[in-house]
Amino acid sequence: MSIFNNPEFGDKLVTLMAALALVLQIAMVAQRWLVTNIRLFSAQSFALAAVAGVIAWFTHSPHVYIAAFLTLAVKAILVPLLLERLVDRIEIRQEIEPIINTPLSIVISGALTLVAYIVADSFYHPEEGPPAAASLGHNTLAVAISLFLIGFFMMLNRRKALTQVLALLSLENGLFLAAISLTYGMPLIVEIGVFFDLLVAVLVLGILVFRIRETFESMDVSKLRRLRG
Amino acid sequence: MILLALLFIPFAAGPLSYFMRERRRMERVNVGAFAATLVAAIALARRVLREGSVSLWDGFLYADALSALVALLTAGVALVCSCYAVGYLREDERSGAFGENGDAAAQLRKYYCLTPMFVSAMLLVTLANNLGVMWVAIELTTLASVFLVTFYGKLTSLEAAWKYAIIGGVGLSMALFGTILTYYSGHKLTGSDTLAGLNWSVLATQAVHLDKTTMRLAFILCLLGYGTKAGLAPMHTWKPDAYSEAPVPAAAILSSAMLNCAIYGLVRVYILAARCLGADFPGNLLLLFGLLSMGVSVPFVLVQKNFRRLLAYHTIDHAGIMATALGVGGPLGSLALMLHMTFHTVAKSLLFLCAGNVWQQFKTDLFHKIKGGVIRAMPLTGGVFLMAILAIIGMPPFSLFQSEFLIVRAAFEAGHYLPSALFVLFGAGVFAGALLHVGGLVLGPAPAEPPPGWLPWRETSILALAAVLVVIGFWLPAPLLELIRGAARVVTGG
Repeated sequence: MSIFNNPEFGDKLVTLMAALALVLQIAMVAQRWLVTNIRLFSAQSFALAAVAGVIAWFTHSPHVYIAAFLTLAVKAILVPLLLERLVDRIEIRQEIEPIINTPLSIVISGALTLVAYIVADSFYHPEEGPPAAASLGHNTLAVAISLFLIGFFMMLNRRKALTQVLALLSLENGLFLAAISLTYGMPLIVEIGVFFDLLVAVLVLGILVFRIRETFESMDVSKLRRLRG
Repeated sequence: MILLALLFIPFAAGPLSYFMRERRRMERVNVGAFAATLVAAIALARRVLREGSVSLWDGFLYADALSALVALLTAGVALVCSCYAVGYLREDERSGAFGENGDAAAQLRKYYCLTPMFVSAMLLVTLANNLGVMWVAIELTTLASVFLVTFYGKLTSLEAAWKYAIIGGVGLSMALFGTILTYYSGHKLTGSDTLAGLNWSVLATQAVHLDKTTMRLAFILCLLGYGTKAGLAPMHTWKPDAYSEAPVPAAAILSSAMLNCAIYGLVRVYILAARCLGADFPGNLLLLFGLLSMGVSVPFVLVQKNFRRLLAYHTIDHAGIMATALGVGGPLGSLALMLHMTFHTVAKSLLFLCAGNVWQQFKTDLFHKIKGGVIRAMPLTGGVFLMAILAIIGMPPFSLFQSEFLIVRAAFEAGHYLPSALFVLFGAGVFAGALLHVGGLVLGPAPAEPPPGWLPWRETSILALAAVLVVIGFWLPAPLLELIRGAARVVTGG
């Protein structure tokens, strides 16, 4: 039996890629440069596309190939390009200023990962005995939930508009991984719809960031404090 | 066929308006398209009453009485607001509200192009059978309306739009997680890996077989997600900002039709959860969030200085009322929810339109700058404003009194004594606050400003909507009542 038909090998590959995605997520928490952050996000999306591709190969499901391709095209290439162009246009190179300092942020991310593992545990039903092929990628659910939770934390921890957009995107990456690991992706039409929404959201938020920058001379959303009560 | 017409008429009107370079033509396209949409929605409602449910493309699009009711309300509000917008935007252009650097033609094109897309997304929410597609459509409603919130391009509008987009985005990501888990909870059922595996009509018939642990988590996440979109506390903070910054006809659509769509999404998930887990678990959560929203809105309504924000907090209150009604559940609670949704849609959009008239006349939305006397300066607007506020705070003989009374009755019958007491208490708080503020605004001596001209588009749409509000207080047309009952039966599953 060739190594490329061995589900155990596939399982290892999926786990490796998912672990890479988690490492990249924590790197995004720690990284202070905006452009590097965008590239980390791109790399993370690439890892997720690889997860989807491997799962598609071993389960022979064409719609997961399409999801993998869309992830690669939209999230690993198109969205980072758009964001980098935006960064160029509004001429910001300065650092991200998180509210909580970096070491503590990483500790919090670690704690969130732990929470995610506990939550994901409740989804395993070992007494039923997982059917061999269907179990592929199920151990990545914990990673998916960690990405989701850490994305949330990044969202709260950042002041600059563009970095919040990045946090939202990485949070969405967690959801994609959850869908892949739980059910091998959503039905294709839904998957396409979600990607379409994501692309439109990036465009809309990008335009908003641009206009906020133009009007406020700053992207610091903590300065958006005029509306109260 | 009718389902496609309902989706594509407004969807086509958006780009079409974009290419109509002239104002008059854009106005015609919009009003015409929304009139056609309303006709299609009425036709759909008639077919649903006759046949029970309508579906297309193997059940990809699906409409039962609940979808038909929400689609009908959406289309109705859209038509009235598009008529109103004609007058409103002409007045804006005349008075130079677009700002000195604002290009009036571009602004008009933006409004007339985005509104039909927005309405089309809302109609897709009601007609999509697949829960994933429904989620996509709800997210699309946010994205289509962000630039309606930034319409006037002020600092505050950008801030409001940012909050709206980000809070909405984060909230809806939770709903997406909920949707994924719903899909997963049915993964052991046959045919779950096909497109139909996430179809609501399929899941609803097999709801008892769904995985209970997963469904519980899925419901919590969907409640948080669609609750954010509906503006339930504590995820409501975007709402007053977005409503007070958007142009008034768009704010009217946001506060009535879009609220309905979010509640609609919540109802669909609630039905699955209630059939899978029993009504207690989802019901109690809904009661909690519903009453919290009502409670949170009370102090803000009492001390509010700005009448558009007052209306927004009022919408939060009503989102809470609807969540409470759904939480109480049962035949009576569901009927009360559907009645309340219908009545609230009419009354709240009317209130926003009146507020728009006041705003355009006085150029401010602060109570203390106007100092009362609206009814003398603008007898029609003032009179209707007062009537609509009396209606919405639940004064008999208006219709919202009936629906709120029904909710309390249903809650008592179901043994929810504390929630009923809180409901009445919070209701009284909002009643006092709203009446005090709007009374002060409308009544009083005449202000010095010259009386405004009669703007036919604006005033006629207000009069028409006011007539609807008065009529439904006393008499609901039999087919509409049948549709509302049908929608309630969808919830209880009888």
